[in-house]
Amino acid sequence: MFSSFSSFYEKSRNKEIVAGLTLISIAVILNLVFGYFAMFFAFYLSFFKWDYIGEMQFVGLQNFEIVIRDLIRGLHGAPYLLVPFYTGLKNILLYTLIVVPIQTFLAIVLASFANQKIRGQQFFKVSYFLPATTSSVIVALIFIWLFMKNGYINYVLTHVIPGFEPVDWINNKDYLLFAIATVAIWGTSGHFMVSFLAAMQAIPREIYEAAMLDGAGPIRRFFFITIPMLRPMVVYVVVMGLIGALQMFDLAWIMAGANGGPGGAGYTVALDIYNEAFTRIRPGVAAAKSWFLFAIIFTTTYLFQKKYGRAMR
Amino acid sequence: MTPRERERLIRRIWIVITYAVLITFALVYLMPFIRSLVASFMTWAQASAYPPEWIPNPFTLENYQKLFRLDLFPRWIRNTALYAGLIVAGNVLFTSMAGYAFARLKFPGKDVIFSALLSLLMIPMFVTLVPNYIIMYKLGLIDNIFGLALLGIVNVSSIFLMRQYFTSLSNEIFEAARLDGCGPIKAFFYIALPLAKPALGAVAVYQFLGSWNAFIGPLIFLRSPENFTLPVGLSFAFQRSMWTEYTPIIAGSLVASAPTILLFLVLNRYLIRGIVITGGKG
Repeated sequence: MFSSFSSFYEKSRNKEIVAGLTLISIAVILNLVFGYFAMFFAFYLSFFKWDYIGEMQFVGLQNFEIVIRDLIRGLHGAPYLLVPFYTGLKNILLYTLIVVPIQTFLAIVLASFANQKIRGQQFFKVSYFLPATTSSVIVALIFIWLFMKNGYINYVLTHVIPGFEPVDWINNKDYLLFAIATVAIWGTSGHFMVSFLAAMQAIPREIYEAAMLDGAGPIRRFFFITIPMLRPMVVYVVVMGLIGALQMFDLAWIMAGANGGPGGAGYTVALDIYNEAFTRIRPGVAAAKSWFLFAIIFTTTYLFQKKYGRAMR
Repeated sequence: MTPRERERLIRRIWIVITYAVLITFALVYLMPFIRSLVASFMTWAQASAYPPEWIPNPFTLENYQKLFRLDLFPRWIRNTALYAGLIVAGNVLFTSMAGYAFARLKFPGKDVIFSALLSLLMIPMFVTLVPNYIIMYKLGLIDNIFGLALLGIVNVSSIFLMRQYFTSLSNEIFEAARLDGCGPIKAFFYIALPLAKPALGAVAVYQFLGSWNAFIGPLIFLRSPENFTLPVGLSFAFQRSMWTEYTPIIAGSLVASAPTILLFLVLNRYLIRGIVITGGKG
């Protein structure tokens, strides 16, 4: 058996085909099962009512109807406990609107300051990047402590901002989402700063030299050379930021808890999908909600890329 | 003031502003780490004092001792190391194989299969999460670190990175090998793999960071506390309030992030160059 296979292999003119297919087989099989099969299974599942153990019961579009009802009731001002998907969606859109522009802007500003002939550039890069290498769970745990009512952040803010009154960030529904957004910005902007720095260092020096001869100062050079040349990287960073922010789970799970904390202020769509699948035991509804999330991510990133050019790959 | 002097003055002011901004932000980014490091040697009473105190008094190792007295904590470290090890080994071996085949060999359906794999990158993990849970459940692999690792041992972005690297190698060396009668598999192990060390290093480091820090996968696929990885274990310890004081959690967080921080401090040049190649962690 084995010898006939090996002789086939040795003699085959199609040695390369056999080798190629063999080398990709494991990657392809695992991705077929956990990628494609899972994806089609999620689609199938979204038409069924099930509790993981009993019979699967075909319910047509009922699971999608549940989600849409939730959204409509939410728009009519139903309390957050009754409309988990609407609450999650509202929060995550606000969160994305805060996090993505600020982290992109901060990353560009820091990168352009660091992109000069200065000592200690490596030190700054390392300091800014360090949060990105640390687990979001650990980051969130540390920040809960820093965000306490008599914690370090309130202490610093009362000294930096005149007239600032200490706030109970984690337990106040008006501030929780901002606290989570702050942690996210702190955690990812440094990573993107390094990306921008790399892109800036790839801009040819001659362009700057020509501009300097024409009398353009550092600020003019920044707006008329650096920013336009960085456009592909900006698109890439924004798209990556959107994908990450819209799926935010870890920070909310730790800082707000699985139920979204006070007033559901830290509830997200990802938390809702988790709860639907594993707390309320409605995998069909969870699958339907995950398609909604996919649609939201796909549309936002598609629209952004269409408007501002294709992301680099 | 001559124009030259003015220019020099502006440049000097500009340098001062640059340093002020960069140092302020370096402090902002580093402060949580410094603050936690100091607090991990304090008692909770002192760590929660307002205004904040900076010198541990009394200096105590109690927080770390509490962690390691708990049987679960060393177990979580072992589990995380096992999980990260499996993911790194799987990715280094299987994605380099696939990347080499996609870059260097000719076989039917190559381009279609490769773009089919790449398009999986667009699918949010939450879409496949519930089905994968059911698949794992049917396979009897829930609460099993090997089962969990199965989901991540061939990461599509690693395949992409490896393919890019193998495509960038020059043709001649592979042609010379072929003329010498070296088959495609042999060429992979004896020529391609040794040449691919930088790319393999990047894949290994990224997968290590990703799997060491992974949360949602371990949270869903692991059930019993003795099988948890560090991020899940720490969040569990925090939510069950195994400690009324917070300092052991801080100490635990530092222990849990020490390997990734050390790895980064040692390999930062290399890692940052990796970002430049891949354009981000994808």
